[in-house]
Amino acid sequence: MINPLRSEAEAFRFLIYVVLVVGAIVAVVLIVRALS
Amino acid sequence: MESASIAVGHAEEHEHHGPPPANRSSRIEAQFLGMLLFIISEVMLFGAFFTAYFFIRVVNHDHWPALGTKLPVAVAGVNTAILLSSSLTMHWSLVSAKNENRFGMRAGLLSTFLLGLTFLTVQINEYVHIGFAPHDHAQGTIFYGLTGLHGAHVFVGLTLLSFATIRAFRGHFSAKEHRGVEVPGIYWHFVDVMWIIVYSTIYVL
Repeated sequence: MINPLRSEAEAFRFLIYVVLVVGAIVAVVLIVRALS
Repeated sequence: MESASIAVGHAEEHEHHGPPPANRSSRIEAQFLGMLLFIISEVMLFGAFFTAYFFIRVVNHDHWPALGTKLPVAVAGVNTAILLSSSLTMHWSLVSAKNENRFGMRAGLLSTFLLGLTFLTVQINEYVHIGFAPHDHAQGTIFYGLTGLHGAHVFVGLTLLSFATIRAFRGHFSAKEHRGVEVPGIYWHFVDVMWIIVYSTIYVL
């Protein structure tokens, strides 16, 4: 399991995951808003 | 002979300086536990501000941003790209340190610092031109509260980065000993993670 506190490399990987997940959530919300 | 061995014993006793090692009551390493507690307290701090934000948007159904105001989404978007690129240079710096690439480590740290400084400067410029103050309405209070709290963290990160950069240019850090770059790096990525959430909720959604 990823632990962003263990090393800088893991923190960097965690940041990339957050960017991808938050980006996906924002995209879904914007699409739903546009359709409704 | 005996007096010689006593003298050696005394010399060994005097080699240790400073207080005795601290008692360890936890199975978790002290540095790790400290960072863990610090990050948890930070998450709770940001959580308190986000609670206020969600309260006025979800519970009160207030207009976001306040009527008659506009948030500079595009400028903040460029600023987000600047901050994310600073995480890339931070990562490059540590990878260089691990590979004994001194130029890469120094260039990475310096560019991370400069990109972070650019982010903070753009944010201050945004405050100057945004057209509302924290005391104008609840939305303004939350906007300045969340972005300001994050800006304060960027400032702390820049302070840590300045120490690491100066040390790097003085010849510190190596492939084996680079904790002085690693710890500010972890903190810097945490600051970036928080900004992704702040930008998405405050500016985009």
